[in-house]
Parts: sequence; structure tokens; C-alpha cells
Amino acid sequence: MPRCAVIAVLLLAPCVALRAQSPSYTPPHLPPPHGFRVFIVPDMEGMGSAVDIHEVIAGNEGEQYKTLTSPDYWDHFRGLLTREVNATIAGARLAGARSFVVNEGHGGNLFANLLPWDLDTGAILVRGFPKPLIMVTGIDSTVGTLMFTGAHAGPGHPGILAHNFAFDTFTVNGKSLNEVGINALIASEYGVAVSLVSGDDAEIAETREILGAGFIGIITKYAVGRMAAITFSPAHIRRMLHDSAAVAVRRAMRGGFKPFRLDKPYHVAFALRRSYPASVVAGLDSLNWSGLAKTGERSYSLTTDDARQMGFLLDAIERVVLH
Amino acid sequence: MSARALRLLALGVWPVLLAAQQPAQAQPPQPPRDTTPPEAYYGVTEYQQARAKLEALMQPHGFTVYIVADMEGLAAVVRNATEMRPEARGGHDPTHEAFRRELAAEVNAAIAGARAAGATQFVVNEGHGGTLFRNIHPEDLDPEAILIRGYPKPNVMETGLNPKVDAMFIIGAHANARTPGIISHSYAFDSFTVNGHVLNEAGIAAFIGGEMGVPMALAAGDNVLTAETREMLGDLETVTTKIAESRSAAAVFPPAVVQRQIRAAAARAVRRVRLGQIKPLRLERPYHVAFCTRATFQPWVPEATANLKGVQRMAGDSTGRCFAYETDAAEDVGNLLNEIEWIVLKP
Repeated sequence: MPRCAVIAVLLLAPCVALRAQSPSYTPPHLPPPHGFRVFIVPDMEGMGSAVDIHEVIAGNEGEQYKTLTSPDYWDHFRGLLTREVNATIAGARLAGARSFVVNEGHGGNLFANLLPWDLDTGAILVRGFPKPLIMVTGIDSTVGTLMFTGAHAGPGHPGILAHNFAFDTFTVNGKSLNEVGINALIASEYGVAVSLVSGDDAEIAETREILGAGFIGIITKYAVGRMAAITFSPAHIRRMLHDSAAVAVRRAMRGGFKPFRLDKPYHVAFALRRSYPASVVAGLDSLNWSGLAKTGERSYSLTTDDARQMGFLLDAIERVVLH
Repeated sequence: MSARALRLLALGVWPVLLAAQQPAQAQPPQPPRDTTPPEAYYGVTEYQQARAKLEALMQPHGFTVYIVADMEGLAAVVRNATEMRPEARGGHDPTHEAFRRELAAEVNAAIAGARAAGATQFVVNEGHGGTLFRNIHPEDLDPEAILIRGYPKPNVMETGLNPKVDAMFIIGAHANARTPGIISHSYAFDSFTVNGHVLNEAGIAAFIGGEMGVPMALAAGDNVLTAETREMLGDLETVTTKIAESRSAAAVFPPAVVQRQIRAAAARAVRRVRLGQIKPLRLERPYHVAFCTRATFQPWVPEATANLKGVQRMAGDSTGRCFAYETDAAEDVGNLLNEIEWIVLKP
């Protein structure tokens, strides 16, 4: 009995510490993996074939998204997205992975884009919003490898629907990070490395600059505008995801990928999108987020030793934006 | 494109109707129009980059067919307001989905025929603007084809076209503006000529490809389209999908028959290009382009067009919507079309 209590306290201790830092955090309770666990973050902008915002927005995310949807298109792309994830899982399984966590990385329909009844039955699906670490909610040190599919380039880059959460700029220690970069840094807190990223040519080039050349990159399409691209058949994309996921898992099992490390403490600086209304800025100011300093009209800075703090803050900011 | 035209026409009619109902009221002020030059938008003018990206993806050997996929000329299409328009743009007709699948079926038929005749690589470029160039369901298309989709994209109907292409096809093509063809129109124009040659959309594609040595080898559309395209380009392969009775009525051939004919014609087209029997369209330099924007457009369309680089108002034109443009490069003409499309279609 007392031994159980000690173990319980030891297990809970980090959670309690995190709670003290951020009241919004609730630790995930995913069942432990039986075998090698793959954590997949599917986004939509960088998936095969998608080029237009109407294809990735459900229209129910908030007032400003109402006119940006075309349900007949979005519905269709949910199916394609689900099949991309299934192909990734199938490839990973072929290489020996036995546990799969899929965490909705795309805000459409408030992080509920995949069709649960069509998803590989071996996968645990994290869907809905808000969720504490947004794109890496549910990650912990039991994860063997991290994969991002359908990722997109950061703002100002010539990629399909290029953006970065709610920001025009986001840097850590002066290094500009896109969404994959931010989440790779959070994952590194658990010693987890990124093994596979799929997205358009702009996204893959940008992520190589951030993470280095170590991961397996899949170019799903070549951007010829912010909403137009040279694309390949969905079957071709699925085959690439399947085959690359198998290679990624084999290499990850041998420790072939290194977590993305930056020097601590992390000096985080970001600017909210210029296109957002003043209410978003006011909303962020009213959070009174511990350690968050305002450095300009829309710019902020945060210094922390724990990359997860970025994740909690991102969740809070997304809640302000998607309110 | 024409979907937008009809809407613009409808917009133009509203003030008249309102004025008729309430004669005392002044005409409502026009909403302010964003006239930011297209250069400011990525994807409108970077045609060389698109071309380089596609060229790098293509196999160095074999025979490549570049297919422009439009919709108005597909088997059985007659009505623009419903059949050519998705839900989000006010279509509300389930037939639209059927025509998206018909588009894929006709393009696939062309690919199958070309493949049977030895073609090895296929690039399909979405050419119909009703859904902002996203009509084919990607998984319906032949899995070996490269598909260019979305808007804005450089050179609209000829995005990425390059000299590695061996032949061009146009499927679902429609007849030129001011002809009695089904949903007849041409980009944003009532008339368009290069060195005095009248060109429809298929002709413009042939002109841009022609300078690179790429012939237009197959055009499928209604009887007006096939006849006028033969007149413009000479003896290319054509498939007549329907006989136009008016701009929105036709005697239509069964889709299955049309698909079979496209397959056969595509095979003939590839063989004839290989034998040198279908030649690229070459016009003399410099190219003197003359065009008039549609009379049904709001005045800001010709106003913004007049501000485009290199565009001159036509001498002696009293309508205010006719222009001249001179260049030594056909791709510049493609880019000009692109910028005018942007003025009209700007989302």
C-alpha cells in the first residue's frame, strides 16, 4: 500500500509541478504502448492535392471562417486526409511499429477533421479543442518517433496556405521556427525526435533549414502560388507516405534521428498576425500569462526552460483566436 | 469565368431594377474595388518559376502530353448557372458533381488513348474557373498524371507549359466569345486577336505552346468549337461532343460514346504528332495583340486593364474597353491574360 502511494506521488509530481506553472494543463492519460509507438500529427494544408482554403475549413471555427468554407470540398478532403494517415500507419506497422497515436494537427472543425470510423483501427485518435499541447497533445517519453504529415510553410514563404499558428513571426533564441519546428522543440523535452515530414516543396525546404537534413521529407506538391500547385495523384502520395514511414520507423528503432535541441533557457519572441483584429491582441493581454512580456504593439517575449510552456501558451492563444 | 460574367451582369442589372422601383432614390454607390496591381500577389506573375518546377519534374525521355481541362465543352453540359457551379458559388445542383466526374472521365479517356499510342507522361492543368480551377476530384484522375490545380496560378490555362511537352490537348473546350456555341466565351474578352488572327481559348493555348514548338493536337467540345478551332489551327484532331442549338441548349451525344471517341482521337493525335503531321502554331514576331474586354463587365474591369504594364488603349476606339499590346514573347501574352483574370476573378 505505502509503496503504491509513493509510486503514485512520483508519477503525479511532474504533473503537479506543471499545474502550478499553467492551470490550463491537464496531463494526458493515454494507455501505455505495447511495442514501438509512432505519434502522427496530420495537418491539411500540406497534404496531397489540397491547394485552397475552402478545402481545409469547415466554416464553423469562428465568425471569420464562415465564408472560407465549401462543405462539398472540405468533406471530400477529410476522406483523403484519413487515407493518408492510414497509409502512414500501414507503412510504420510494416516496419514493426505496434502503437499509433494520431493527434489532429489541423484547426478545421476545431481539430476534428479525420473520419474516425475510416481511420486505422490500431490508432488512438486525439481530436477536439482546446487541448493542452495543441499539435503534440498526448506526447510523452513512451513515443518512439514523431511524424508530421500535410505540414505547411511559415508566413511570408511561397508555400500553399503558408502560415504559422497565429503569428507573423515566431523565433526561439533568434531562430525562426515554423509549426514543425515549434512542435519538434516541445517533443525534444521528452527526448522524441522527428523522423518524417510531408508537405509542399516550400515547407520541406524551410523545415530542413530549421531541423537540419536528418528527417525524411516527402514533397507532396510544388507550389506555384499560395493557392495553386503542381500535384500528384492521392494514390502516389499514399505510396510515398507508406514507404517512407516504413523507412522512418526502421531508422528510428536504431536511434537514427536526433531530437531537435536549442540552448536553454529558450528566449521566445513572436508577433501576432497583422491581419487579426485588435480584440485578439486584447485577449492575449488579458490572459496575464506568467512570464509573458509585451515588447511592441503585437509582439511578445517569453523566457522559459521548458518548451512545453510554448505549447500551453499556443493553446491559450488559439483559444483567444478561435473564440 | 463565364459564371462570374453572369454574376457581374446580374449585378449590373440590380441598380436598374432598384431605380425602377424607387425612382426618387439616387443610384447606390459602387462598392470600393481593390485595384492592387497583380504583381503584389505571389502566384500571378511567377510563370517562369512554375515552368521551371514542372520542367524539373518531367522525365527527360518519352512522349509528354499536356492536357488543358475545361468544362463547358464536356459531353451533355448545357447550362452554366447550375451545372458548372459548386454549392459554395451558388450552384446547388447535384449534377455539378456528376460533371466533375465526367471531366475526369474524359481526361482519363484522352490519357488512355495517348498512352496506347506511346505517350509516357501526362500533365493535366485545370482550365475551368467556375470553381477556381479545382474541378477534378484528384483520386478520379489517372494515377500517373500530374495535376495542376488552384488559383491564382501563373498563366492560367498554360501553367508550367514548357518545351519538354510534346503535344497539347484541350478537353471540354468551349467556342469563342460571341459565337452560338454552348456557354461560348473567351477569358474576359469579347474579342481577341494576335496579328489579326482570331483566337479562342484553345487558339491562345496553341499560340503560347506553338512558340515553344508544342502543337495543339486534340480539341474536344461542341460543333462550333471544333469547327472554329480547325479554322484557326488547321488539321488537328477534334471530337464533337454535342451540337449546339443555342448558347444553353444542344443535341448531346452520350458521355460513354464521347469518351470512346476521345480515346480514339487521342491515340490518332499522338501518332500524327510523331509523324510531324500536326504542327505547332507559329505567328510572326512581334506579336500584335488586340482585344476588347466584355461589354457586360463593370467599368472597373477596363479601367484596371488599362493600367496594366504594356497595355495601350486602342486607337480610334469609342467603347473604352478595347486595347492593344505588343510583345516578342508569347508567354508575356499568357501572363497578361493571367493579370486580367485576376482583375475579374479576384477572390
